Amino acid sequence: MRTTSPDSRTGVFSRLPEWFSNLLGAGGTSRMKREADASMQAAIAAVVEQEDEAPLAPLRTGREIESVVDEMLAQGRYALLLRPQLIGNLSPEQLARTRAALADGMGLVPEGFVTLRPPFTDESAGEAPLLRLEAYYLDRYPVTNSQYAHFVASGGYEQMQIWDPEIWAALLDFVDTTGHPGPRNWKNGRFPRGEEHHPVAGVCWYEAVAYARWIGKRLPSDAEWVKAGSWPVSIPGHPLLSRRYPWGEAMDRSRANLWGSGPGHTVSVFEFPSGVSVGGVHQLIGNVWEWTADAFNLNSTEAPTASVQTKMKSIRGGAFDTYLDGQATCQFQSADVALTRKHNIGFRCAIHLNDLADWREESADEVDEPEGNSFAENPS
Amino acid sequence: MNRGVALELDSLRLAHYGNQISCLICAEGNTPDAEYCRNCFAPMILAHQAQSHASKPVMFAALGPSGVGKTVYLGMLLDMLSRQPKHLQLAARGGFSVTLQHNTIGALSRCEFPTKTPNEPDRWNWVHCQLRSAKQKQPVEMVIPDMAGEALFEEVDHPHSYRVIHSLLSRCDGVMILIDGTKLQAGSLDEDYFTMKLLSHLTELATDPKRPWSSRPVALIFSKADQCESCFEDPNAYAQRHAPGLSRICHQKFRRHCFFAAGVAGAIANRPVRGNPSHMVPLRVEPRGIIEPFEWLVDNLRG
Repeated sequence: MRTTSPDSRTGVFSRLPEWFSNLLGAGGTSRMKREADASMQAAIAAVVEQEDEAPLAPLRTGREIESVVDEMLAQGRYALLLRPQLIGNLSPEQLARTRAALADGMGLVPEGFVTLRPPFTDESAGEAPLLRLEAYYLDRYPVTNSQYAHFVASGGYEQMQIWDPEIWAALLDFVDTTGHPGPRNWKNGRFPRGEEHHPVAGVCWYEAVAYARWIGKRLPSDAEWVKAGSWPVSIPGHPLLSRRYPWGEAMDRSRANLWGSGPGHTVSVFEFPSGVSVGGVHQLIGNVWEWTADAFNLNSTEAPTASVQTKMKSIRGGAFDTYLDGQATCQFQSADVALTRKHNIGFRCAIHLNDLADWREESADEVDEPEGNSFAENPS
Repeated sequence: MNRGVALELDSLRLAHYGNQISCLICAEGNTPDAEYCRNCFAPMILAHQAQSHASKPVMFAALGPSGVGKTVYLGMLLDMLSRQPKHLQLAARGGFSVTLQHNTIGALSRCEFPTKTPNEPDRWNWVHCQLRSAKQKQPVEMVIPDMAGEALFEEVDHPHSYRVIHSLLSRCDGVMILIDGTKLQAGSLDEDYFTMKLLSHLTELATDPKRPWSSRPVALIFSKADQCESCFEDPNAYAQRHAPGLSRICHQKFRRHCFFAAGVAGAIANRPVRGNPSHMVPLRVEPRGIIEPFEWLVDNLRG
């Protein structure tokens, strides 16, 4: 990698280090905020890394930057472009496309309460603890093979800053059947033919986290995942009304790819559309289990907390081979070892609403540019 | 009721008692109202139900050491075959035949493993069912017991200590031998020896000379394969790599044998329970490779 002085370049990429320090200075109070910031830093740092790999070209032109933006949009990295630090530099046309990509790709889950039942308990165990969440976006579909292929093709497995240092030693093991970096079931760095819209599986928790960082998002917490599916309604004076399944209270196997209702393997994320949640999030139940950000707490008497450090990470939603109805509910929590790369575990991503620029109220031209955070000094 | 009629009924009952019913497993004669065979302790209801069919039921046995997963495997197999509307279907004959799958699935749905099968034969779960398949016009009657692993190895080490096991293994039509794939992967040779003991025991059993054990189908199943995924990729290669002795004895002495891999729990964890020792629990149920060994056994029954 070539090292360059920030002063030797102009435009967005020369200012990224400043944004890092700005972000760190902002100092979120909650763990989620800190993680989101870390995710953002890592993702932007990855962009810098890629730029550093390129030959030292003269100053970037608006056209070159536009092509970078287009490439990022094609890779599905719209969440990165919608960060407050970057959004003011998008052209109106790019902003419109980026906003459309967000609306197509992610469903908004409003702020509010959710109950999170500890593992090994069911409805008979009484009231579960209430948690309050800020509004957030959740991917409408699990991350697909074709989406993940962008990450692999762009050298995601070599961009060390988006990987947790604790996992660097294991990175060389994250290979496909032919020894190329990628999910376990891929071959020659490519997903199986005809499975571009299948959820990516055979990735461990760390790979899911790295992808989420690269794309400018993060893994959802357990509470966020459950809230998107159970869509709780809070009526004063009543317990929280939550759905057992995204479509209602009763299991309906025609709405999800589970054991006995599907072909016995993963299907396209666009199948089983009737299983959609109230908020427009698909396939929360069935097809593949989904990694969440949280650790799995084996102490059944306590609610899952992020402070419990175990080597197991939480997974939610059931998969194509989930046998029991009771294990394919919004509340059911399972887990697996963070390094495991199983054929039936995938993931989807989330992002806090507050981490995105508030483009609903302000047009791109009106967004105040943070000092020194211009995406391009002369956006053409 | 007058006295004359009562005498007639008593006579009928006495006559009935004289007509003994043979135990389905050991063929010992038992009185019609016996609940368990006086010789081997197998449930006599199997014999009563088998009387309604001209042909004797097919018998399969699941063998393996204690804790290898015989109960989970059988319970899962029976439940899957009774739920799936595909080419193989099982229908239980009698409520007692549902107990095994009920207990197994009930425990798994609570994220627990079923309790250990007791050593006493009269406390084992027996399954009597009808198997329907697309390949056979008539349904096949089938009996499958869930035996205790410790009792099984007591019989292997001291033949005739468990008459029910001795009789069953002498006459059963095929066996599923479960081998703990995780222990093999960890380098333990115990599983290799256990299985070799079992196979040697089978070959030495005095059975019908027209139907020696060497010609009966033997399915060797690596259990808990979800914890060692390479099992699924090529069970034969896995056997050669991790259980060479077993692999060799199978090739030498059993014309019809095949290795399989099966898993029920997608993941397990050591769960600490306040006031009690921690224990392993299944974190979810995702059966894999469960039906294939059984289907292979059925296909190889008479072939």
